[in-house]
Amino acid sequence: MRGCLFAEWLSPVEEISTPLDSLHCDCYGREGAIVIVTILDVVIAGLLLGGLYALIAMGLSLQYGVARVLNVSHGEFIMLGGLITWTLTTQFGLNPLAALAVCGPLTFLLGYILHRTIFRRLASTAESVGVFEGNSMLASFGLMFIIQNLALVIWGPEIRGYSYLARPVNIGGALFGANRLLTLGFALVIGLIFYLYLARTRMGKAIRAAAQDRDAAALMGININYVLAICFALGAAMAGIAGMLISMSYPVNAVMGFEYTTIAIIVVVLGGLGSIPGSFIGGFLLGLVGSVVTYFQPGLALAAYYAIFILLLLIRPTGIMGR
Amino acid sequence: MRTHRTILKSLGGLVLLVLAMALLAGLPLYASAYTVILITSILMYIILAMSWAMFSGPTGYISLAPAAFFGVGIYTAAVLGLELPLPLVILLAGVGSFCLALLVGGLTLRLKGIYFVIFTIGLVELIKNLVLWYEVTFTGTRGRFVVPVDNNTVYHVMLTILVLLLLTAYLIRRSRFGLALQSIGEDEQAAAHVGVNVNPLKMIVFAVSAVFMGAAGAIMATRWSYVDPYIAFNPLFSFMAVLMAIFGGLGKFYGPMLGAVIIAYLEETLITRFPYYYMLIFGLVLVATILFLPGGLVGLAPKLRSWTARRERAHPGG
Amino acid sequence: MSSKRLTRREFLRGATLTGVGLAAAACGGTATPVAPTTAPTAAASPIPTVAAKDKIRVGMSRPLSGSQAIVGDSAFRPIYETWVPMVNADGGVYVEEYGKKLPIELTIYDDKTDVGTMVRLTEKLILEDKVDFLWPACGTSFIFAQAPIANKYGYILITAEGGATTIKDALPSLPYTFVTLSFSDWYQIPVLADLLAAKGAKTAYIMYIADLHGIEYSGVAGIEFPKKGIDILGIKSVPPDIKDVSAVLNQAMDSKADVFCCFAYPDQIMPTVGTCMGVGYNPKAWIGGPGVNFGFFHTAFGPAVEGVTGFAGGSPKQSEALKAMYDKLYAGKPEDANDWWGHPFYWAGLECWKAAIEKAGTLNQEKIRDVLATEKFETVLGETWFSNGLLAKEAHMAEIGQWQNGVYEVVGPTDKATADFIYPKPAWPGA
Repeated sequence: MRGCLFAEWLSPVEEISTPLDSLHCDCYGREGAIVIVTILDVVIAGLLLGGLYALIAMGLSLQYGVARVLNVSHGEFIMLGGLITWTLTTQFGLNPLAALAVCGPLTFLLGYILHRTIFRRLASTAESVGVFEGNSMLASFGLMFIIQNLALVIWGPEIRGYSYLARPVNIGGALFGANRLLTLGFALVIGLIFYLYLARTRMGKAIRAAAQDRDAAALMGININYVLAICFALGAAMAGIAGMLISMSYPVNAVMGFEYTTIAIIVVVLGGLGSIPGSFIGGFLLGLVGSVVTYFQPGLALAAYYAIFILLLLIRPTGIMGR
Repeated sequence: MRTHRTILKSLGGLVLLVLAMALLAGLPLYASAYTVILITSILMYIILAMSWAMFSGPTGYISLAPAAFFGVGIYTAAVLGLELPLPLVILLAGVGSFCLALLVGGLTLRLKGIYFVIFTIGLVELIKNLVLWYEVTFTGTRGRFVVPVDNNTVYHVMLTILVLLLLTAYLIRRSRFGLALQSIGEDEQAAAHVGVNVNPLKMIVFAVSAVFMGAAGAIMATRWSYVDPYIAFNPLFSFMAVLMAIFGGLGKFYGPMLGAVIIAYLEETLITRFPYYYMLIFGLVLVATILFLPGGLVGLAPKLRSWTARRERAHPGG
Repeated sequence: MSSKRLTRREFLRGATLTGVGLAAAACGGTATPVAPTTAPTAAASPIPTVAAKDKIRVGMSRPLSGSQAIVGDSAFRPIYETWVPMVNADGGVYVEEYGKKLPIELTIYDDKTDVGTMVRLTEKLILEDKVDFLWPACGTSFIFAQAPIANKYGYILITAEGGATTIKDALPSLPYTFVTLSFSDWYQIPVLADLLAAKGAKTAYIMYIADLHGIEYSGVAGIEFPKKGIDILGIKSVPPDIKDVSAVLNQAMDSKADVFCCFAYPDQIMPTVGTCMGVGYNPKAWIGGPGVNFGFFHTAFGPAVEGVTGFAGGSPKQSEALKAMYDKLYAGKPEDANDWWGHPFYWAGLECWKAAIEKAGTLNQEKIRDVLATEKFETVLGETWFSNGLLAKEAHMAEIGQWQNGVYEVVGPTDKATADFIYPKPAWPGA
């Protein structure tokens, strides 16, 4: 059966626009075709979800991996991105993609300010890295409630939604929403841009140095405080953009943040604490797992994520690409 | 050397303590019905904050799991309350939380602290989803009715749990286990080298702290008469426990208690007068405490003293 | 976070401080001024001999924050915020016992969508604030928790948001509780099944949220649909925080069922609609639970809502009274605020409350309860009464609604409909 499935999958491009009925496999006929399309469905759905997870996790990985802040309020930045996009789209008639130009910088700025005021002060008063990590996690916990409450006051608790590009796109006989494909596209592009940023630019190199060994980097003349603040801000910006992308396909509201935070945290651990490429890959992996589990038992998706988390803890706590 | 003064002071303190306990125990006799209810609520917060501090205070391992253990207690009462007598239900709730904590501890406490924190963050959500899924798939219910219990009984049970908790926490803290926990908090590797059985100790103390949260959950559930996974597993309880303990201060034994009483009172005022902003205010309190007063309220007195002492030294004679 | 070694003195000092503190709180609690006493037991004399009363105090524990704030804010809140000032502008509720109209004063506490807090605040309102009346908390599970307490202290509870088959069974033991909102077997699903069967639907696929609401609706549908000859080809439950329903929708598509039911809340219904459009799933009928009936559903999806079916309470086209109510409620508000299912029921509930007080002529809850349980009242729904604690289904002005040309028409039951049920539903635009 396996050979048959893969043969169909790798078949020439004309297949893509062929109606379902004519897809066939010698071994299993019509049922085989349905299985193929089903697997394709599940995999692509998993990738779509995974793209989003990867984006969210990359942001958190920056914040924890480099700035060593386990930002429990990460999901709130996602929420802000989503709600700001909603406001711009429905109240001002902007195209959601154009809202990118507002969400990204706004969340970046917010992240920067928060780091400079709160986390830098914590870093200077903490006796050890462990204490700093603990305190900054708690501070971000408090931030979570502050940001959420502010959002509730500004936007109210109502669910805000709009419809954008909810048109079907045919891939291999299965249909997917254009908006979700766009989300995946964005995640990949942002991932690529970020990779290039890290690899080619001065700031990128500084970030990588700080991630590897903060003290050595500081000794080399890098303005470490500035770099950490930028990392935190970049992480927040990624969250804001992710929020914009989410709002294209799902309704948003002021209390949506925490579930994304949980997922981001699991992905970051899955990818390896401190590894940014790890979180990127981990996001897609988790998305695939979620899609597969949802196919059989939708109620167990989160439990499945946790099961993976537990497995990791037992076998390989450093994650896929962790040090 | 214990002089007559110190012995008298200890004795006096003991008498005061007994008096306070008697006052509290007799509360339903002289206070209004709502006051008993309010104090019960405050007791719940004290139990959550103190049991959180019992483990997370000395070791520095920040747990965001109180809501999970509390929820296990609530759900135990919901599931077993109709069939078993109340004392047994409370006991089983404590045991259930104990086992869950052992499991969590066993999985995570042998790794770096951050894994423990991360695991506890999502633990509440995980358990909620699992219970929900189980109920939908197998029992076809969502939500259960809990056998109601008289308010005064609830109050006395909570008071008993609190007294037991205080005794346990005090004994641990004064014993060599307490010392060992502190040493783990200060330098875990060094503690291991000195011979402290680091992992088993962490696991046991963590599990013991969970017992009280579970027991409290079981008895509080009887006040709510209807419980479902969303009601039982509410992350807000973790936040409140942490907020109260840190605000009160972990430096002194009674810090979390103090924090709990003040915050609980503050909450009562806020939800009746400023309902839209109380979460904002609590978040600000937590952040401000961590930034400016990491020792909490109990850390304030020594700070003030050293601040005034410094001023005196700088400007002698005013 | 280091700690000094604990001395016995510190422990005693601390514990005593806390104990004294708690005791002080206890005394402080009892020192709260108590409101003047309410109605006497004898009611006959036309000249009131009671202590002067200048207002009716109504207390509520509402989710002003937390996950149910969304529901509370769009459902019951606009009702009481419009109705109470309207009644007060007219002087208030006429209570014969005092020989005059008494305005209503609301005391609202935030229960943070936490049942424990709601229970405590309810008791605070009853025991400490000693309010005259209790208006409901928000949500079915909260009603379940609040009803026994209200009953215990003899306070009437006319519920707003929430209602389920299980509370129907509990009502006989809760004589002070009156449920207004319609729900699955009271009487929506049977009417829906009739409607679908009449148009020739033969098969259905059900997706439901894993909670009391979803279980109930899918359960009732599981009974009513087959009765009318509609086979159920699949039932799938989804968790409330599901992100991606495409797997379930693909299965529904494959089953080729005529009818697709999404028994969930706005949080799930909206992404499901979006995903349906995305995967091009066009069943002949698309039924959605709470969410479809709100204005924000229309504003989010625009013309794509054409043909989507949900539950309804009444349309302004059906009577002058309903039109007047809707005009008052939605004047100057964005379409988002519209609720075409619950609002008529909640409004009618308040009207019954007022009418019952006026008929009883007293603020004594026992007497008012008797009136509520036995008499009929004139409300926006026409003649309204409670049968065994439930708002009589004969008094319902609608059960099923459908979006047609941007208007949420009543399509069932057919004798009260404002428009014909469109079946099959037109395909999603842009497909």
